[in-house]
Amino acid sequence: METPKINLVHQQLVIFKRNRLASVGAVIILFIIFISVVSPWIAPYDPWKMNKDKNGKVLMLKPPSEEFLLGTTLYGRDVLSQILIGTQATLLMGFVAGFCAAFLGANVGLISGYYGKMTDNILMRITDIVYGLPFEPFIIVMVIIMSPPKLWTIGLAIILITWRTTARVVRSEVLSIKERPYITLSRIRGASNLRIIYRHIVPNILPLILVYFCASIAWSVIAYASISFLGFGDPNVLSWGSMLYDVFAQGGIRAWWWFIPPGLCLSIFIISLYVVVRAYEEFANPRLRTQR
Amino acid sequence: MKNYLIQRGISTIFVIIAVMSLLFLLFRLVPGDPTTLVISPALDEIAQKRLLELYGLDKPLYIQYLLYMKNFFIFQWGKSFFSQEDVSAMLWYRFWNTFSLMSGAIVLALFLGMIGGILAAWKRGRSFDSGVLIGVTFFQSTPIFFTGMLFLLILSYKLGLFPTGLMHEPGLFSDTLWGTFANIDFLHHLALPLLSAVLYYLSLPLLIMRSSMIAALGSDYLLFARAKGLSNKRILFKHAARNALLPVITIFSLLIGYAMGGQVVLETVYSWPGMGLAMVEAVQHHDYPVAQATFGLMAILIIVLNFITDIVYCFLDPRIRY
Repeated sequence: METPKINLVHQQLVIFKRNRLASVGAVIILFIIFISVVSPWIAPYDPWKMNKDKNGKVLMLKPPSEEFLLGTTLYGRDVLSQILIGTQATLLMGFVAGFCAAFLGANVGLISGYYGKMTDNILMRITDIVYGLPFEPFIIVMVIIMSPPKLWTIGLAIILITWRTTARVVRSEVLSIKERPYITLSRIRGASNLRIIYRHIVPNILPLILVYFCASIAWSVIAYASISFLGFGDPNVLSWGSMLYDVFAQGGIRAWWWFIPPGLCLSIFIISLYVVVRAYEEFANPRLRTQR
Repeated sequence: MKNYLIQRGISTIFVIIAVMSLLFLLFRLVPGDPTTLVISPALDEIAQKRLLELYGLDKPLYIQYLLYMKNFFIFQWGKSFFSQEDVSAMLWYRFWNTFSLMSGAIVLALFLGMIGGILAAWKRGRSFDSGVLIGVTFFQSTPIFFTGMLFLLILSYKLGLFPTGLMHEPGLFSDTLWGTFANIDFLHHLALPLLSAVLYYLSLPLLIMRSSMIAALGSDYLLFARAKGLSNKRILFKHAARNALLPVITIFSLLIGYAMGGQVVLETVYSWPGMGLAMVEAVQHHDYPVAQATFGLMAILIIVLNFITDIVYCFLDPRIRY
């Protein structure tokens, strides 16, 4: 018996062809990834350098000009360079924490849903407990416990709470899939549990997992920005969130050129992610598609 | 039904106990454990020992744990390291401050989201629908502290329409809850945080209402209602909306979770003296009794409100039999 192979690349192309908005989102995401890679070479200034004029006076809060395309901060740092370099930490956190959270959540959901009984009971009670925790306060406390704050401690804290959503959704999907005849058949044929889970169940819920992967990226980016904004981030790492913290803590809210760019970058990145999420959601849940 | 309630009740109690135990462990792991923070190593040995006894830190860990659990549930939450205030008295006010902001925000977001969702579904595919979708997606994707800062810049600093933060004009303080909340000054300060929160939470109920309305609009009984010659308004709000409403209620508990966790940044931007700001300030000041109690209170609120939502849902939808 030949198992039909799902062509992953082709599947993505179909999803994006069907939804033009999602293609725009995907292009923006790719563009931001590109920027993050080349930012050290295209940033016009050292983002940490206090720029001074000829007389040695710090160029404080200069509005956008030819010299500084997006103006300067309170300490005379170039906003554009900070935005460009800040892309790196923001994206790194989003993708790594988002991936780990979705991976952990998906596996908890798969194991819990497939094995059922005691395993399910224990894993779902743990999920219930994690659902009882307030999101940002939990991350704050975890980051403080592992202080001084580093990028990886913040990432770990985000992963430890973000996996819960994926776990619940994947579990309920596995519960319905495992009752299908072809799963019973492969069990009769002597397929091992792991083989059934990862070869027969996972391909069927992959679009769903991708939905939650993209959503987890968005949640991780927002969480990281929030934690940085509250001042619990790593003070030596630039991110869009830490720029907003600087603006707020240093009372620079009137300097629109300083705080609108990082905020807008965050919105655009997250909007793009959500648009892609919705395209995958329509694909994962064909009912949504026909309702349009 | 009765079995379901008992089962949910037991698991709710279990989750509360587990979260509280986790909290105890977490705050034991905080660097510079409470002993070194409260008790200066500069004191002589006898004084140190007395202080340890005073705080109950000389007892074995499991006794400390039991004391902690007991004290939490009888609202003996200790004194703030920072201001020496009684923590439970302080959090009582903080809770009402958060509640006054968040309950309004959730109710408004649900209400406006349902109406918006109904209208968007009715006009689906047209420019009104796309406009609404783009709008809510923007506010959903924008971190709430950035929206807040934008509002502050435009409406407070540039136009001077609203205060830049806090809950009252400085100096205006009332001892009673009624005096705190029932005045124009409070509402004036409430406007911007409420607006930011509503816009942020709006998308979820709106999108769910929209898709469940689209499903309802395609059903046979609506075709029948239209054939009867009922007006559009009547069809929309009397017939379709009632059936589309149920999924929106399920997200009530989700919204509560977001609101309890998400108000931290919101309260920081507007210096709103609620639980979220208390939590942030306590952590900054290494004020662990306050941080711990605030965290515990938030967690219990989330768990209990989720439990209540489940029960309400169970009563509302007679099809669900557990």
